[in-house]
Amino acid sequence: MNQFAALDLQVSIGAQEIFKIGSFSVTNALLCGIAGSLIAIIVLVYTALSVKRGFYNRFVGLVQWVFEGLLKQINDILPDKKLARKMTPLAMTVFFVVMFDYWLSVLPGLDTIKIAGVPILRSVTADLNFTLALAIITVVTVQIYAVKYLGVFGNIKRYIRNPLKSPIGAFEGALEIIGEFSRGLALALRLFGNAFAGEILLIVIGLLASYAATVVLPFFMIFELFIGFIQAYVFFVLVLIFTSLAVSHGGEHSEEPA
Amino acid sequence: MQPLTQFATTTNGNVFTSLGIDWQMLILQIVAFLILVFILGKYVYPWLIKSVDERQANIEAANKAASEAQSAAVDAEARVEKLLKIARDEAADIVATAKLESAAALSASEEKAKKRSEQIVADAQGEIQKEVVAAKKALHNETLELVALATEKVVGKAVSSKIDESLITDSLKAVK
Repeated sequence: MNQFAALDLQVSIGAQEIFKIGSFSVTNALLCGIAGSLIAIIVLVYTALSVKRGFYNRFVGLVQWVFEGLLKQINDILPDKKLARKMTPLAMTVFFVVMFDYWLSVLPGLDTIKIAGVPILRSVTADLNFTLALAIITVVTVQIYAVKYLGVFGNIKRYIRNPLKSPIGAFEGALEIIGEFSRGLALALRLFGNAFAGEILLIVIGLLASYAATVVLPFFMIFELFIGFIQAYVFFVLVLIFTSLAVSHGGEHSEEPA
Repeated sequence: MQPLTQFATTTNGNVFTSLGIDWQMLILQIVAFLILVFILGKYVYPWLIKSVDERQANIEAANKAASEAQSAAVDAEARVEKLLKIARDEAADIVATAKLESAAALSASEEKAKKRSEQIVADAQGEIQKEVVAAKKALHNETLELVALATEKVVGKAVSSKIDESLITDSLKAVK
């Protein structure tokens, strides 16, 4: 503990402000988020242009392979092809942006390159604003498609049922409401927790290993790259599963006696 | 450690602020992400989806062509097998017929050859018989002439008809 105190290890749960534009504070996570999103855009646009022009190389092939795999997953989870195509942009963007943003936390210089004592590098996935934003977008999108497929009253019926007619159904509905909130919160906290813990892990390993960090850290960085891919994939799959559950609810209840 | 002091101050302050949640930032991130989804969904993903669909279609077409070719090959094999069977049967029939015909032709030709040879032999015997008779006759005449000549030379003019006759008869006996 004395050593840590001497090293002045500072870990902040929230993203730290680097500078202000008017009353809006620009944080380190926001800067990294912009960088990560730009990388995702560049990679996807480059791949799309290459495909359009019929120019292929290993990188384009790799991105196309990943894209094809994800598209297959979307079609497998959402049997309705029309809905699958509508959900593709959101699910794909979630995957690529989360993955590239997560991977930015693996860049050397984490917690060491600082401006006015604030580290510049902090993955936007380790900022609750971003993960919460993604969770809100997911939950709202799922609700929009649920209303579209089940109708307004059909969707409300998922949550509110007559306790006199079906007490178990009413309890189930209440659980469904709690479930919606918990799903959204779990989405946000899972990604934040993993990214934040990953960054702390890298910082602590770097401090503990001292000069041996050059040998030890790459292993943890590779591990973090893998975790980044897994987290992006988990988020991507959960977005699809929540949508699938919401739109398939109608089928279950349509069999119930009126 | 700053986090501990941060949590300590949280009890008095706003929990969202201490977790780093800034509503302004949250709304900005939501809007920015939705714009990103819209732009990528409008201009980037369609090309990638199109390429994936085309590749899928190509794979499906290739699979279909391969399965069609396979079934065509199986059909062709079955047809070839059937044709071969028919050809084998026909060949067997032809061989059997040819054997029968050749056997019949052989026996017929044998019969014909036998008859012909018998005819030739009979003709030859008849010819020989005629020639023998003719030769005997010619020999007889020549002998008679020779005998007459010889008798004339040996006996000369003193020969009477009685002696001549007996001489002739003796000569003939000697010749025989």
